[in-house]
Amino acid sequence: MSLAEQIITAHSNHEQVKPGELLTVSIDRVYLQDGNSPTIRRLFAENSFTKVFDPSRIGVFFDHSVLSPDAKMTDRLREAETFATNLGLSIFKAGMGISHVVALEEGWFEPGTIVVGSDSHTCTGGALQCLALGMGASDITTAMVTGKTWLRVPETVWLEILGIPGQHTRTKDVMLYLLAKLGQRPFLYKSIEWIGKWLNTLTLDAVATIANMTVELGAKCSFLPPGQERPDTLTPIQQPDDGDPRRIVLDIEGLPPFVAKPHSPSNSFPLDECRGEPINYVFIGSCTNSRLEDLAEVARVFSQEKVHPSIHCLVTPGSQSVYLEALHQGYVETLMRAGAIVTPPGCGACLGTQGTIPASGDRVLSTMNRNFLGRMGNPKAEIWLASPLVAAHTAIRGSIPGTGDLI
Amino acid sequence: MNGIKQNLRVRKITGTISTDDIIPGRYKHALIHPADMAGHVFENLLPGFAQTLRTGDVLSCDSTFGIGSSREQAVSSLLAAGIVAVFAPSFGRIFFRNSWNLGLLAIEIDHLPALEGDTVCLDLNKGLVIGPSGVGCFIPPPTEMISMVEQGGLLAQLRQSI
Repeated sequence: MSLAEQIITAHSNHEQVKPGELLTVSIDRVYLQDGNSPTIRRLFAENSFTKVFDPSRIGVFFDHSVLSPDAKMTDRLREAETFATNLGLSIFKAGMGISHVVALEEGWFEPGTIVVGSDSHTCTGGALQCLALGMGASDITTAMVTGKTWLRVPETVWLEILGIPGQHTRTKDVMLYLLAKLGQRPFLYKSIEWIGKWLNTLTLDAVATIANMTVELGAKCSFLPPGQERPDTLTPIQQPDDGDPRRIVLDIEGLPPFVAKPHSPSNSFPLDECRGEPINYVFIGSCTNSRLEDLAEVARVFSQEKVHPSIHCLVTPGSQSVYLEALHQGYVETLMRAGAIVTPPGCGACLGTQGTIPASGDRVLSTMNRNFLGRMGNPKAEIWLASPLVAAHTAIRGSIPGTGDLI
Repeated sequence: MNGIKQNLRVRKITGTISTDDIIPGRYKHALIHPADMAGHVFENLLPGFAQTLRTGDVLSCDSTFGIGSSREQAVSSLLAAGIVAVFAPSFGRIFFRNSWNLGLLAIEIDHLPALEGDTVCLDLNKGLVIGPSGVGCFIPPPTEMISMVEQGGLLAQLRQSI
C-alpha cells in the first residue's frame, strides 16, 4: 500500500482501501486561518453549531492580516477572535507566524496523522509524512464539529529524483522546473511520494518548500523521505518496480536556478534566460520560503552589501521563532543594514491584503508560491517567482542576476 | 432531484483559472456574504463579465478550473452570481470539493457541445450534456455526492445527522 493508503486505512473502519474509493476518515487535527475564519464563524452561526469535537486539537492562526490595513478587516479579525475564544480553541495570535510554518515547528504535523486546514498550503505537512489537506470553509466546519471528513483515496505517483542540481539551485528551483517541465497533468488529485538520494541530504526547511508547492502541482498530498533534521519515525519510501507507469523520473543533474515569469508558477525558465530583467520590488517571505535557512541565505548575500536604490525590499520571517533566531544569529541586523524592511512574522505581502501592495507597473520578484494576476493586490503589477538566493541577488543588483552572478 | 437541468446558458472561459481569478483575495477578508462578492467575480481577469451573468448560467472552461487557494468564496460567489454548473476538463481539487459541498455542479468533461450563449441541458445521473452541436458525455458523479447536493449540501447533511 502507498503511504496515503496506509494512513487513510488506519483512520477509517476499512481493513483495506483502494484508489478512487470515497470514504469517511477520522482526523487528528484541524486548523484555520484568519482569512477563512469569518466564513467559518458565519457557517457555525447559520447552522446553530455550538460545539467542536476537541478544542485542543483545533488551532486558529492569525497570519493573513497581521497589520490589518482597514477597519472592515479588523472587524472580521475581532469577530474571529471572539469565535475562537468562545469555542475554547488553541489561538495563535497575530505575530506568531504563518500557520504552516508554526505547525511544522510546534508538532502539529505528526507522521502518519491526518490534519486538515482551511488553507491550500496545509499540504506543507507532507514534509513530515503527515497526510495534510487544504480544504474550504464548509469542510473545515464539518471537521471541527465531527472530527471526521470525507475523502477520495488518491492514486499515488512515485517521483524519483536523479542526480544533484547545480551549486546555486534550491528546492524552490526544482519545483519551478518540475512545474515547467511536467505541469499539473501527471499529478492532478494524486499523492506524490518523493524518492532520490539528493532528498535525503536536505534539511527540513528545504523539503518543506517541496511539500508546500504540492498544491501548485495540483496534487492532493505528498510525502518526503527521511533525511537530515527529520524525526526517525518517518517511513522510508519504497518505489514500485522499473517500468511501472506510476513511477516518474526527473533528472536534475546540474540543473540551474529557475524563475517563474508572470502569471503562473508553471511559466518558468532557466535563470540565465531572465538575466537583466529589471525589478523594483523584492519580497522574501511566505509559507514557501520564510524559514531560518532562507533568511540565513539572504543575510549571507546581503553581508557588506546594499539593496539597490531602485528596489523596495521586504523580508517577512515565517514565524516568531524564525524571527527570534534570526535576531540571535545577527541576520536581522544584516538585512536591515543592507536596506531591507523586516516586517512582523506572517503571510506578509503574499496575498494582496497588506503591505506592501505593489504599484501599477511594478515588477515584483518574490519567493512566494503563486504569481497569479492580481495575487499581491494589484492586477497591474507583474510578479516573478524565485528562490531566496536569487531574490537576494536581485535586490542587490536591481535586476535579475545570471547564474554566474550568484557568488 | 431527477438530476436534469434545462435551459442553461453557456458562458465560455479560456485558459487555466485560479481561485484568485474567480474572486480576488481582498474581498474574502473584508466581506462575509457571498451576495456582496457576486459583482466582483473575475474582476481582474475579465472586467465587466460579472455584470453580464444571470441565474441559470453555466461556465465552460477549456483548461483546469479553480486551481490555487482554498477559498470557498470562489464557489459561493459564483453561486451568488447565478452560476449553477461549471464544465471543465479538470478542476483544482479543493475547488472541486467546495463545489459539491455547496451544490455547484463541477463536471469533468473535455469539450462541451455548445458555443458562447448557447443553451444546454444537463442530465447528471446519466452523465450527458445535450447542446446545439451534439451530446457530450462525462462519468456521472458518485451517488454519495449527488445525494449530498440533494440534501442541500454538506452542512445541511451534517445538520440532519446530529
